[in-house]
Amino acid sequence: MTLSAAQPMPDSLLAQARAGDRTAFATLVRAHQGSVFSIGLRMLSRRDAAEDLAQDVFLQLYRKLDSIESAEHLKFWLRRVAANLAIDWLRRLPYSATQPLDESAEVATQDPEDDPLMSRELMRLLGELAPHPRAVMLLRYQEDRDVAEIAAMLDMPVNTVKSHIKRSLTALRGQMIGAKLVDCEELP
Amino acid sequence: MTENFANNFEKELRRRLAPVDAPEGFTERLMAALPAERAPNVVAFVPKVARPARQFGVPAALAASLLGAVLFGMHVANERALREEREGIAASQQLMQALRVTSQKLDLAYEAVNNPPTTGDEENRS
Repeated sequence: MTLSAAQPMPDSLLAQARAGDRTAFATLVRAHQGSVFSIGLRMLSRRDAAEDLAQDVFLQLYRKLDSIESAEHLKFWLRRVAANLAIDWLRRLPYSATQPLDESAEVATQDPEDDPLMSRELMRLLGELAPHPRAVMLLRYQEDRDVAEIAAMLDMPVNTVKSHIKRSLTALRGQMIGAKLVDCEELP
Repeated sequence: MTENFANNFEKELRRRLAPVDAPEGFTERLMAALPAERAPNVVAFVPKVARPARQFGVPAALAASLLGAVLFGMHVANERALREEREGIAASQQLMQALRVTSQKLDLAYEAVNNPPTTGDEENRS
């Protein structure tokens, strides 16, 4: 059984996993591993660290399955734990926040229409944001969560989330346009 | 092109930040790392037991302190009232005693004024 995070997930699958069905749990993992891994990768900028983080998140889920009430709660819980764990790891290993993104092409989506240079630049700029605004931007634009949900996930006031989004967008937009202008000027 | 990019920046961000796939074999590695048996969630029972104590502990302590203070105040007030009553009775007894003595003296004086000593007595005196 294959499910993606975008597809509605039956609560029965969660109930089966809770009852000890490892195949059902594996299906839940497959449905959400992309999102959890992407949060880790874009927060920590390293594939190995992102995989460790995703493993940690799913191991925590396995232990706390009984406290998950529904498929929607599962989505919320996984993103909240992944984002907060990544912020925590960045706090403990601050060097990773300033590391250059060697694997930036992989960090960006694998859309064939993408300009890889632009994507790399976007990931670099995203990596320059402080951990909290970076998590806010990922939950907003990668996970498409609304402001109130992000506030609940990161345990911060709604107005702080709005302010992080506004300031990060302004910074990213300004720098991306600047980068694009430079690219355009360099063209023959 | 730049203007268009700026206007559609949020849309562009969403497109470029779409989730990527987890590494090959991630699920299998994770499943291999899982413990064979899931530990029963005994923690879930702890808050249910601990919660009332935590929830009502402080108000109960405050209520007990308040009740103690009220009882102590009542006891002190009662003691004071008893002491004042005892002192009142003693003062009243002393006053009665003083009035009795005064009354006796007045009787004697009255007796002396109204029944002066007889002549024989004067002669005896002279």
